[in-house]
Amino acid sequence: MDPNQTTYLIVGGSAAGMAAAHAIRMRETDRPITVLTDEPDKPYFRPMIPFLVSGKKAAPDMAMEGSGPYTQKNILVDTGNRVVSVDTSARKVFLDNGRSMAYEKILFATGSRPYIPPDIQGTETQGVFALRTLAHAREMAARAGRTKHAVLLGGGLLNLKVAFALLELKIKVTLVVFSPEVLSRLMDPEDAALIRKALDDAGLKIKTGAAAIGIQSDHTGVTGVVLDDNSEIACEMVCIGKGVRPNVEFLESSGIKLEKGIVADRHTACSQPYTFAAGDVAVTHDPISGEPVMTALWTNAVEMGRCAGLNMAGLPTAYTGTFGILNATQVAKTPFVSMGLVHTRELNCEIYSHTTRMSHRKMVFSPDGARLMGMVLVGDIRNAGLYRHVIQERMAVERFKREIINHSLHWGHFIR
Amino acid sequence: MAYSEKILNKSVDPATQKMLERAEKLDLETAWDRYEKMLPQCGFGELGLCCRICNMGPCRISPFEDAGPKKGVCGATADIIVARNLIRMIAGGAAAHSDHGRDLAHTLLLTAQGKSGGYKIKDETKLAALAKEYGIKTKGRTKEEIALDLAESVYAEFGKQEGFVQFSRRAPEKRVALWKKAGIDPRGIDREIVEIMHRTHIGVDNDPVNLILQGLKASIADGWGGSAIATEISDVLFGTPVPVRSQANLGVLKHDEVNIIAHGHEPVLSEMIVAAALDPKLVEQAKASGAKGINVVGMCCTGNEICMRHGIPIAGNFLQQELAVITGAVEAMIVDVQCIMPALGDLCECFHTKFISTSPKAKFPGAIHMEFNEEKAMEIAKKIVGTAVENYANRNKEKVFIPEDKTDCMVGFSAEAIIKALGGTLDPLLNAVKSGAVKGIAGVVGCNNPKIKHDKGHIELVKELIKNNVLVTTTGCNAIACAKAGLMLPEAAAQAGDGLKGVCKALGIPPVLHMGSCVDISRILTVCAAIANALGVDISDLPVAGAAPEWMSEKAVSIGAYVVSSGIFTVLGTVPQVLGSPLVTEILTKTANSVLGAAFAVETDPIKGARLMIAHMDAKRKALGI
Amino acid sequence: MLNARHLGFKEGDMPQPKEIFVKSDRCVGCKSCIMACAVEHSQSKTLFGAIGESQIPKSRVYVEWVAPDKKIPLVCRQCEDAPCMYACISGAITRNADGVVITDTDKCIGCWTCVMVCPYGVIGRHLEAGKAYRCDRCPDRDLPACVSACPTGALVFETVPAYSKSVRQQASQEFAKAEGE
Repeated sequence: MDPNQTTYLIVGGSAAGMAAAHAIRMRETDRPITVLTDEPDKPYFRPMIPFLVSGKKAAPDMAMEGSGPYTQKNILVDTGNRVVSVDTSARKVFLDNGRSMAYEKILFATGSRPYIPPDIQGTETQGVFALRTLAHAREMAARAGRTKHAVLLGGGLLNLKVAFALLELKIKVTLVVFSPEVLSRLMDPEDAALIRKALDDAGLKIKTGAAAIGIQSDHTGVTGVVLDDNSEIACEMVCIGKGVRPNVEFLESSGIKLEKGIVADRHTACSQPYTFAAGDVAVTHDPISGEPVMTALWTNAVEMGRCAGLNMAGLPTAYTGTFGILNATQVAKTPFVSMGLVHTRELNCEIYSHTTRMSHRKMVFSPDGARLMGMVLVGDIRNAGLYRHVIQERMAVERFKREIINHSLHWGHFIR
Repeated sequence: MAYSEKILNKSVDPATQKMLERAEKLDLETAWDRYEKMLPQCGFGELGLCCRICNMGPCRISPFEDAGPKKGVCGATADIIVARNLIRMIAGGAAAHSDHGRDLAHTLLLTAQGKSGGYKIKDETKLAALAKEYGIKTKGRTKEEIALDLAESVYAEFGKQEGFVQFSRRAPEKRVALWKKAGIDPRGIDREIVEIMHRTHIGVDNDPVNLILQGLKASIADGWGGSAIATEISDVLFGTPVPVRSQANLGVLKHDEVNIIAHGHEPVLSEMIVAAALDPKLVEQAKASGAKGINVVGMCCTGNEICMRHGIPIAGNFLQQELAVITGAVEAMIVDVQCIMPALGDLCECFHTKFISTSPKAKFPGAIHMEFNEEKAMEIAKKIVGTAVENYANRNKEKVFIPEDKTDCMVGFSAEAIIKALGGTLDPLLNAVKSGAVKGIAGVVGCNNPKIKHDKGHIELVKELIKNNVLVTTTGCNAIACAKAGLMLPEAAAQAGDGLKGVCKALGIPPVLHMGSCVDISRILTVCAAIANALGVDISDLPVAGAAPEWMSEKAVSIGAYVVSSGIFTVLGTVPQVLGSPLVTEILTKTANSVLGAAFAVETDPIKGARLMIAHMDAKRKALGI
Repeated sequence: MLNARHLGFKEGDMPQPKEIFVKSDRCVGCKSCIMACAVEHSQSKTLFGAIGESQIPKSRVYVEWVAPDKKIPLVCRQCEDAPCMYACISGAITRNADGVVITDTDKCIGCWTCVMVCPYGVIGRHLEAGKAYRCDRCPDRDLPACVSACPTGALVFETVPAYSKSVRQQASQEFAKAEGE
């Protein structure tokens, strides 16, 4: 087989890319599939990397190949190969090592990279991390050995996971959060109250309404962080979790339509023929609002990648879009799920919320009360999948609205 | 004979095995089949976590669902539900025993008044002794006069509101004091049962400990009240048992005689059947039909009663009742109350057997009701026997299959008989216990249950005990099992340990002493009380233990409760419906020790059960310094 | 929803596993299935042993109530295209050769993404262990414990073709009866 030629070329070897590759291989038993990834590691489950920092899991535990549904064979994965430009008429990509590769169909699944706010001074210092790759995780784990105190900038899910990984290593952690409350991207402050309490009880120090303006260092690397109120926090490690930006630079002169990310239609196709996009890098649409949306979620990337793979393999499959918010996790023994439309302060929605000592929930209905638009569950996350179904399918909820409000919905209600 | 493994797994008794094979051949359903069909039984019921006490239910507490209900609709927790269910079982059992006692008291009353149709006062010595307990004058009075006063006093125990139950004062003072302290000294027989029903009504007693204490109280009013009355008055009317020889198992049915089975519990009926069958006219009638005579046999406790007093053979225990009908050789199955399977109705239709109910309290589908009353006792009994004799002509010889198995036994060991056998005093027994020749005394009692291989629980446990020099007293279906297994012959001492062997040889008694029917467990209590008083200790200090290896009835629950309340460690061979409440389970198996000086243990393996009893007796011996 | 047929498999190609089908009109809500499932997934495998275990065993089958009087047993459908399998961020969920969807408890990190995407709500959360669990179709038994325990035959263990056939037979009898009138 000619190494510089392939039928299905997938740029990016993470969730979307591998999901697409396996979806194609399930349908196409013979034709070559090549995945190019610029990382040195074979594809892995990215959400697991905080466990490498804490030492709870090792790199082989996180490998995608052979795990879960990724059991197809004959997919060529080339690590350490970064694509720097694409010629969509000649159907060729050019790599940073001088190689070129011809393709019949191509999927852009290059994902996103951490956003480093340019207004923070000193982010290139040793000991400052933005956790994204296994390589980052290794460096972080190494730095942890000499870290007594770590400051995490940003109160999002990634930083919370990092925080707990560091707490496991008995490292003190302070979270510096610009928003009034943690997880501001995933829920309103009042929804996060129970989680915040759990975090406080777990020993996390959290400063809200604060931003870092600079990072201090010496020859050992990071020594402290300076906040916008001019206070200083001494630390040996800084982790920045301030969101991500799509990796689209390599497509600048390719003619592919970009709007921050790569614009993909309902069949995951891009503006040029034989091109597709999926995952964090793609701009798709939110089924509720209809607005263009980019998500940075593993689950969405897998779904979109599978859809892209099917389309590439010749089976037209519409991507039903994704919620901008679709998260589930457990922090400090408190599980939560957040999906759809959850930021409701400015909205004219019908909202039902209920809080007890141990749990909290918020159900967001459309203004006419006929449809479920979003939901936050903290503590008691039973049947969360049913709500996703209700939201995604835009079901008329009249028959079981009471059950939704009481969080007693179960599948039996769909068939009565 | 090669039986299917299935059948061998159901019973260790050869007659039963033969009859089960026969039942299979004839495609007849037995209790074992119905038990298999019932599997799996409801887990909530098994754990005691199902409550049907009010119509806001039925409620069940789920032990396995995180999100499942942890309280009934009224708010009752698992502990409350289990406790309520348990003491309702005690109420049912105590009511059964007590009604039996009530009927005996009533019969004595009628007899004393000269209104009964065929009963006599047989044991005047016992009459006088009981009268003394009640403070009734005996000097210069006729037995009828004494009996009248006694009957009225005993009758009054049932409806008593305040005071105490007289026979409970036979217990050592320490024991009575303990009952008083715990608040479980019963005031009257019916009252305590009624109070259980009241307390377990929705929204009354919701404290598991308080509930259990009331259960114990009612059970004491049974064991030292209702049951004791049944035993004692039966002795007065029908004679206190003395050692007599008999036979046990289905082989006692005869090919060439009219077979009548008296089944149920009260000697008020069975004694009359036995007497009526001696009537020359009826015997003549039988002979005229081609039979050699009339063969009355017993089953279950009423069988035990007439066996103990007259040596009437026993056809079998609880689980064998259907099998007796399946022999095709029974002209009449005459029943009164308790432990009679409603399945008998359909079964008797398959044969010529007449299923005759006699008690207004106990009617059955497919039964012919020939209502019995004490006023016309002998007259009715003769009529019933006559019906059986007439039925002999309908016997289909082709359908007859009687297993040959029957075993000789020596029965009739009332407390009085035991003391007589000992030479008039307890001393020889006490010395044997002190010397260690007899390690201790066990009371092994109770029903059959298809959950346990039929008779295996009974026999293995008893054998293990006598092997270890434990003298075994027995009643009820366990007694019948031991009789069938040959353990009630003096020769069975060969299976005992050396110490017990010697004692049995010296006294000419078997190592297993048949003390009667289930109400006659009061005899065992009387013996324990006597021994305890002789030694100046409480019953809970004695090297004694109880066991019910195959129990099933609510009566057994009441018995277990009053035996433990009397200070005797008791092993249960089938699991009671209480495990759904760790609290109630702990109370019954541990905490009871500190309150009652005794507790329950649950052990389905009979050998292990016996070892628990033996270990217990060793501990008690050590504490007594013997 | 995507399914295996879209991906090129015909029904005859794959060996037919048996599924647990639910006849909800036969369910009386006795919850014997729940008891049996929990006991089967306990250490001691007996009812009396199971209630004493320090980690109370969990049932993988659920019985839900729909007013006024319907009881619906629910259990993992072992979806061929299991949403949970794709959504799992640690690759802990696979579908084995018998068609059973399995969570590898070593890999499971208890993030509950699977719970978030399961449209039937049949993935459970084991509080003490912090792992997800679901019906495993009782690999050690010929007949799943719940099916065996159901006293009314509301749970049926059968292959899709055989079960569908029995439903068709029932339906055709109803048709024939209706037409005859």
